[in-house]
Amino acid sequence: MNSFRHSFPNLTQSPICDIIYQAYKVPFHLLDFLVKGMNQIVSIGTSHHVAPIEFREKLAFSEAQIIESLQHFRESDQVQEAVILSTCNRVEVYAVANAVRNADAAAKILVEFLSRYHQIGVESLKKWTYLHHNLETIQHLFRVTASLDSMVVGESQILGQVKAAYDASREAGGAGTILNRLFTKAFSVGKRVRSETTIASGAVSISYAAVELAKKIFNTLEGKTVAIVGAGEMSELTAKHLVSNGVSNVIVANRTYERAVKVAEKFNGTPLAYDTDLSFLIDADIVISSTNAPDYLIKRRPLADVMRKRKHRYMFLIDIAVPRDIEPDVSKIDHAFLYNIDDLEAVVASNLKDRQQEATRAEQIVTDEAKRFYDQLQIFQVNPTIKALHQQFREIADTELQACFYKTALSDQQEAAIASMTQAIVKKLLHHPMQNLRCAVNDGDADHGQYIQALQELFALDVNDDNSGM
Amino acid sequence: MINFLFLVTLLIYLAASIFQTLSLAISSRTEAAVIRPTIERIAFWGTGIGFAFLSLFIALWWLTQGHFPMTHWTDSTAFFAWAITLIYLIIVRLTHLRALGSFVMPVAFIAILISYSFATHTAALPEPLQNYWLLAHTTLIFLAYAAFIAAFGFGLMYLMTERKIRKKTDALLDNLLPSLGTSDGLGYRCTILGVILLTMGVIVGSLWTQYIRDVPWRWLDAKVISTLVTWFIYVAQIGLRQFWGWHGRRAAYTAIIGFVAVLCTYVGVDLFLDSMHTYR
Repeated sequence: MNSFRHSFPNLTQSPICDIIYQAYKVPFHLLDFLVKGMNQIVSIGTSHHVAPIEFREKLAFSEAQIIESLQHFRESDQVQEAVILSTCNRVEVYAVANAVRNADAAAKILVEFLSRYHQIGVESLKKWTYLHHNLETIQHLFRVTASLDSMVVGESQILGQVKAAYDASREAGGAGTILNRLFTKAFSVGKRVRSETTIASGAVSISYAAVELAKKIFNTLEGKTVAIVGAGEMSELTAKHLVSNGVSNVIVANRTYERAVKVAEKFNGTPLAYDTDLSFLIDADIVISSTNAPDYLIKRRPLADVMRKRKHRYMFLIDIAVPRDIEPDVSKIDHAFLYNIDDLEAVVASNLKDRQQEATRAEQIVTDEAKRFYDQLQIFQVNPTIKALHQQFREIADTELQACFYKTALSDQQEAAIASMTQAIVKKLLHHPMQNLRCAVNDGDADHGQYIQALQELFALDVNDDNSGM
Repeated sequence: MINFLFLVTLLIYLAASIFQTLSLAISSRTEAAVIRPTIERIAFWGTGIGFAFLSLFIALWWLTQGHFPMTHWTDSTAFFAWAITLIYLIIVRLTHLRALGSFVMPVAFIAILISYSFATHTAALPEPLQNYWLLAHTTLIFLAYAAFIAAFGFGLMYLMTERKIRKKTDALLDNLLPSLGTSDGLGYRCTILGVILLTMGVIVGSLWTQYIRDVPWRWLDAKVISTLVTWFIYVAQIGLRQFWGWHGRRAAYTAIIGFVAVLCTYVGVDLFLDSMHTYR
């Protein structure tokens, strides 16, 4: 253990290193395959948190590769269910194995698979990936869908990406009863976190911040006009967001008319060339300025005239040029709201801080949900065994009763009394074992898998997992 | 017993206004955001229950006195609070903007507090005034006041939002207050509603004077004059807005000035000037 810690000091803070170490320490018995144990949910993955892009791209799966891999899993019998998630920030394989003794063995299957499939040495896999099993896997997936593990906490893309990965895996026959339940739950947790905390609210990019601010000023963006002064990627992006939020008219003003036309085409807007006359701003509700002009382009006095001409309707001015295009004093005009690049960045920073604080609450929700889901899963896995045991006892009792009734001549009343007594005996005989089994499951007792196995073997139960109601 | 129930109503209003204010105050504090939905729920349900209690009391007084209860500060302020709550609930029903309660509920609470402190007093209403003119006249005027107070609330909301936007850093953290355009527009609608109601109330009142022979009437009544001043302030606001684009911040300030005028008309005149309308 110590030597392992020594060689991978940066990994030793996490419990992952223990798991990886255990996975390789435990001798891999053939027997493990023969023993039918509990379903083990394991995941292996890498993300921007632990690995550089050079490694992540090596591990990435294309769509065809995902289908191929799932095919491989299905044929190999080692893994019963699998979902592969491959995005630019993370590559993760979620799998359910029930032909193994414990989660470590299941994890080993995944490590070996990845190593073989992508031709990556086990050593570097150890260094750049994380392994989770059972509760950890559930919690990790919930964190991912809640976008707590994302580069920008609260971003919305990841939920769709996981959904797409899950759908693809389901279509390819990868996801089965357990992963179906797990992923469905993960999506609802993702939604719950987003609705009950504000991690997904508040713009965290400058262009979105501008849109959000516009929404704070105007009661609606429908029918509003945005004027882009000068050209630039940022101003076009912001205008694009504004248009998709309802802004209907775009004016593109540039010193040279040709350039204005070029940009205006993208938005189906009105191009115009300006010199010093600001009268084109009379119709503009939102002004995005990003010219290379060395001096202020929009000054207080001319703008005050413009404001008077537009009957003091609100004007939101966004100055993303450096050096600035709009005189700061403009913000002293009533109903003119000026934000420069620094202001927008401050807004974004404050939103990010807010998200960080909310993340703590979101983590709590995720932890609770993961625990609850894990417990439910345990009970679901125990239920078939319990059901089979009950069934068997009842069948034996029924057979014996029929035989007994056949031989003797009892009145209906007597037969009913004996039948109900037999049922009571069966119930009472099973009461304590069942109670203890459920307790073991609920307490998170790691041995309950062995209990189930013992029961199945001792009573020769035929438990069909596919009908387990998972 | 009835007195005790009125005290309960008072306390419900107190709780409702505290929770309303609280929900707005903590809206931008992330740490407290967990309990905000609960606080909002308590505030809103408190408002609803308080309103139901108050309606019962007014009905009760109406039954026991045999005419519309509008004789003393007790009935008058209780009805004032009732009108404010009614207008607030209607606005919430139409716009889902509960935040307005943070501004109007405290006013309603103070009105009930005054009502409670006079609760043992009753005054006899002169016989000739006991008719449905009284009901129509006072209801219209009080609903107009309530609409003006809602406009005042929207004005304050506007100023708070504007300050936040100008302050820049935390501009987006608070999601409870509506946009500037919304506050301004709704405030304007409330003002128009108030002006219409007030105009109707004044017309009904002046028609009423034609039917009273036994009570001496003079036009230069302090209440009448100050009501006309209030009316003029609001009409001027609407005119300036229509013709010179006086909306937004200026409209918000006018709403506050109008609110002061309403208070002067309602309370000030009775306390400091002699008027035919005085509650005794």
